[in-house]
Amino acid sequence: MSVVKGSTEQINNSEPLMAVDIGGLILKNPVMTASGTFGYGQEYASYIDINRLGALIVKGLSLEPRKGNPPPRIMETPCGMLNAIGMENIGVRVFIDRKLPFLRQFDVTIITNIFGETIDEYKKVAEILSPLEGIHGLELNISCPNVKRGGIAFGADPDTAYEVTGAVKSVTDLPVIVKLTPNVGDIAGIAESVAVAGANAISLINTLTGMSVDIEQRIPHLKNITGGLSGPAIKPIALRMVWEVVNRVSIPVIGVGGIMDANDALEFLIVGARAVQIGTANFINPRATLDILEGIEHYLKRHHIMGINDLIGTLIPEGET
Amino acid sequence: MSLVVGEIVLNRELVSQHFLMHVKLPVSWATPQPGQFVMVRVRDRRDILLRRPLSIYAFDRDETGLVIELLYRIAGKGTFALSRQKAGEHLEILGPLGHGFDIFPEMKKIVLLAGGIGVVPLAFLASHYMKLPTGDHLEIIGYIGAKSAGHLVGVDKLKEVCTEVKISTDDGSRDYHGFVTELLADDIESFIDGDSIIYACGPSPMMRRLAEVLKACLDAGKGKPIPCQISVEERMACGVGACLGCVIHVKAIGDKTQYKRVCQDGPIFDIRDIIWR
Repeated sequence: MSVVKGSTEQINNSEPLMAVDIGGLILKNPVMTASGTFGYGQEYASYIDINRLGALIVKGLSLEPRKGNPPPRIMETPCGMLNAIGMENIGVRVFIDRKLPFLRQFDVTIITNIFGETIDEYKKVAEILSPLEGIHGLELNISCPNVKRGGIAFGADPDTAYEVTGAVKSVTDLPVIVKLTPNVGDIAGIAESVAVAGANAISLINTLTGMSVDIEQRIPHLKNITGGLSGPAIKPIALRMVWEVVNRVSIPVIGVGGIMDANDALEFLIVGARAVQIGTANFINPRATLDILEGIEHYLKRHHIMGINDLIGTLIPEGET
Repeated sequence: MSLVVGEIVLNRELVSQHFLMHVKLPVSWATPQPGQFVMVRVRDRRDILLRRPLSIYAFDRDETGLVIELLYRIAGKGTFALSRQKAGEHLEILGPLGHGFDIFPEMKKIVLLAGGIGVVPLAFLASHYMKLPTGDHLEIIGYIGAKSAGHLVGVDKLKEVCTEVKISTDDGSRDYHGFVTELLADDIESFIDGDSIIYACGPSPMMRRLAEVLKACLDAGKGKPIPCQISVEERMACGVGACLGCVIHVKAIGDKTQYKRVCQDGPIFDIRDIIWR
């Protein structure tokens, strides 16, 4: 212990323990990149030390390459942005040939986000990726709002969510994280379904469906008409949904949605998220993940908390505000 | 490319809604190429979330650092917030980003076609050509158009670096009355001897019309095809190729088409590759 000059607060100088267990997957810290916001890692490698990430979740992969939606694909809205990329990706095989070798150079947990139009496609992508060196977990995207088939169609109904989770679990030994959509009535019900189906963890939330209009031309700002809203605008909703889900399921929950800085991340951890994903913040600050990680460490020291696990789920619901 | 904090040295309105900003950056910042851009954002503003892509207008390096010049038009909330910033305040700058224009030192005539604020990367390009060892022998011809005389920016800068500058206004309030593409179309036959290249930046209808002018010239069997590179503008989120938000539709091998990222694969494209919306 030492006293910082000019401050009455004591700071614990020993480094806090940051490792977290996500359904059997041990991460060196709880800060991960959110799928679709960090490319395949290469795009940001010159800006940050990828080895310091808790995990890197790559852009969603489908069995075959996908061209994505026609532009315009994005629009800024107050405190947020809409996107309708449409799951553009190079396909799982090109990923393995051209992107995975790059990612293998790093000492970092790699989680591949996977996506299918049918349950069979989810299974095939999982089967192809599971035996490969350098892939440590799968995240099922059953929540993309911007494609006509697949995506949200699997995540909006508890039975189909159960079915796709079970199907992927039957073909892989890797930890399976299921990413949920907020565009449902009872997200905790969907969470229960995927937990029963054997999911090792849940991440939430994906984007909220939204819309924006150019009033001069009277056309939607996005060619797809609707898109997924992300950024600080959705954080209170994401936080409320994480709170609902951690109270309903016992598997680890990863908080995602509008986390811009360490304070935002800490809210999710206190509410009970075992880890956090950083998405839109990467676009604004390529160093956002590491700034957030350092901010969490500083908070733990400032509050004399030995490790991150001593903070997770410590919300005092009846506390005075 | 890097993310750095720069100090605003100057931020001044040149003509209505058009601002010139000088930002001092650290020595470590990479030397920008003509056609490259930066992503800028007023700090600590969550309501205006994303960075704005701005083309680089000019730069000057000395032993204490680098000053980049940005010339921008107020197009929305982000650029408005930028225009309110004062000298001495700080900005976070990500860049330099994207691929610049290809430089062809063997060409004799460098033709620039600028629509409005599109003059920005072209002025930088012209000064780059002028500084080449072969620069003295080059003919750099600038065509610049705007809605009216009051909307013209960058003309003085172009005059410094061009052999000749031709001006058009849509309303005829200065020089040629009409679109700048028509001004160029009148001269197009002076550029068909295989010794000229056209660089263009401006609103989409202008560049689309340029593509038509070039095609008509080729279809008429006049001389050699004129190479033409354009700088494309799209809304962007990340600026580094990760979000796939800024794609445009381009031709691919065979009859195929594909999406290309303006930020990473561009912003400079061959005009003949573009599939116009």
